[in-house]
Amino acid sequence: MTEEFSLLDRKALVIGASNPIGRAIAVALAEAVADVAVATTTRSQSEEVIANSCSNEMWALNRKSFAQSIDAASESDVNALVERTVAEFGRLDVLVNAQDLPFAKPIAETSFDEWRRVMDANVGSMFLASKAAAKVMLAQDKGRIINVASVLGERGMANGSAYCTAQAGVFNLTRALALEFAREGINVNAIGAGWTEGMGIIGSDDERQKLERYLPYKRLAKPEEVAGVAVYLSSEASDYLTGQVVWVEGGALSHV
Amino acid sequence: MSVLDKLKLNGKVAIVTGAGRGLGRAMAISLAQAGADIVATARTKSQVEETADMVRGHGRAAEWVECDVTDSSSVRAMVQSTVDKFGRIDILVNNAGGATPGMQNRLVDIDDHHWRVGVDTNLTGAMYCSRAAIQQMLEQGSGKIINVTSGFGLRVARDNFIYTSAKAGLINFTRALALTYAPSIQANLIAPGLFPHDNPAMIEWWRGGKFVPMGRLGGDHEIGLLSVFLASDLTSYMNGQIVVLDGGGLAAGHAPTGFAPRVELPSEVTQ
Repeated sequence: MTEEFSLLDRKALVIGASNPIGRAIAVALAEAVADVAVATTTRSQSEEVIANSCSNEMWALNRKSFAQSIDAASESDVNALVERTVAEFGRLDVLVNAQDLPFAKPIAETSFDEWRRVMDANVGSMFLASKAAAKVMLAQDKGRIINVASVLGERGMANGSAYCTAQAGVFNLTRALALEFAREGINVNAIGAGWTEGMGIIGSDDERQKLERYLPYKRLAKPEEVAGVAVYLSSEASDYLTGQVVWVEGGALSHV
Repeated sequence: MSVLDKLKLNGKVAIVTGAGRGLGRAMAISLAQAGADIVATARTKSQVEETADMVRGHGRAAEWVECDVTDSSSVRAMVQSTVDKFGRIDILVNNAGGATPGMQNRLVDIDDHHWRVGVDTNLTGAMYCSRAAIQQMLEQGSGKIINVTSGFGLRVARDNFIYTSAKAGLINFTRALALTYAPSIQANLIAPGLFPHDNPAMIEWWRGGKFVPMGRLGGDHEIGLLSVFLASDLTSYMNGQIVVLDGGGLAAGHAPTGFAPRVELPSEVTQ
């Protein structure tokens, strides 16, 4: 039965595997028997360490993998990453954009440079990776692009002018690309992630506790719970699904 | 447990309403293929009998129950017989619904009766079934409710008052279920696009889906697979949400002419 959900022989690239959701998605795809390349979003050493350990986890699951440290907002870095993926794997079936740069500041204190960096890191990076991956996928007549964004792309938040705008941008980037590629065999969807353990936008323990009181589940999502959707969206079980946001948020958005 | 193991539904019991044909039958069979035992219900006995036979053909236990979801006593009896037979309800798929008389009438031509039948069929039935099954799910401490709405629950068409109102109502009913019974019970929705159920007349009416962004209509089995996903442990944090499976129709925003015409926008950025 699960054969339609299996990712056997699929080749995936997860950018942002250095954050908990990206990492959990990479592991889930590997468990569904895809080969998975992973990349960071910045060239920081701390991200590189996480990406390397994530890649080792792929090998432990008997999947092929490599980790690459990139600046996800650099066009040349992203192009080189996609080229390496195709060189090592022979093709690229699934691109997961899990880049995330959390940022919250009153607008009066937000410089235009910070605004641009938040846009570049959160949505510009997805534009770049989608562009590079689509070139490969168009030649294959087949592919999946999965963009991860947050409930803050659907609801506003004080001090979130830059971040909320970027997250909303991810959702409409998803819809526009889905239509552009609807007849080319490339499905483009988004995962709308709720408040998830370990994601940077959640600040102090005190803030976390306040959040948990408000959430319908009285707890945050585990990264693995968000990752399950990526398996469905990567598999042939979702062949007819495109241009949609699939939410994993425990019902928080249902509340008035 | 590997992610693919989480999709297995072995030992689970699913009620599927409107299971005599189309999407309901497809979901009953997919859920059974994933390992669930099935209670197939609909008004037409011969059709649910056939669905139950097909489920058994996949090696799962199946019962059929004649049930009119717009009749609350009929629904209570159906749920009771499920509990009597299987001892539990893990998955409830509220799929029964569809076109009702007067559905395309102009507002001034809608009879009171038309309205009530349309709302009963597409909204009240799901409430009756959920109300009847929730106690069993609460006692178990777990359950998944999957309600089938439509693209017409999210958007509307001219002169389509009854169906669109009922299907939109079903969305908010599901959200209220989701918030009220989280985290032990999850309630989500499937919003199918255009699914002709292999009916040549429907395929022709929808011109084979050439105006759908993907250029084709949906296959019932694709909804079946989505129901497995939503019924599985892979979606433990999905709640109160709609998965739209429509080949890109709603992404374009003006289905059913979603794919064309394209609006020409400036292709160069000028200062």
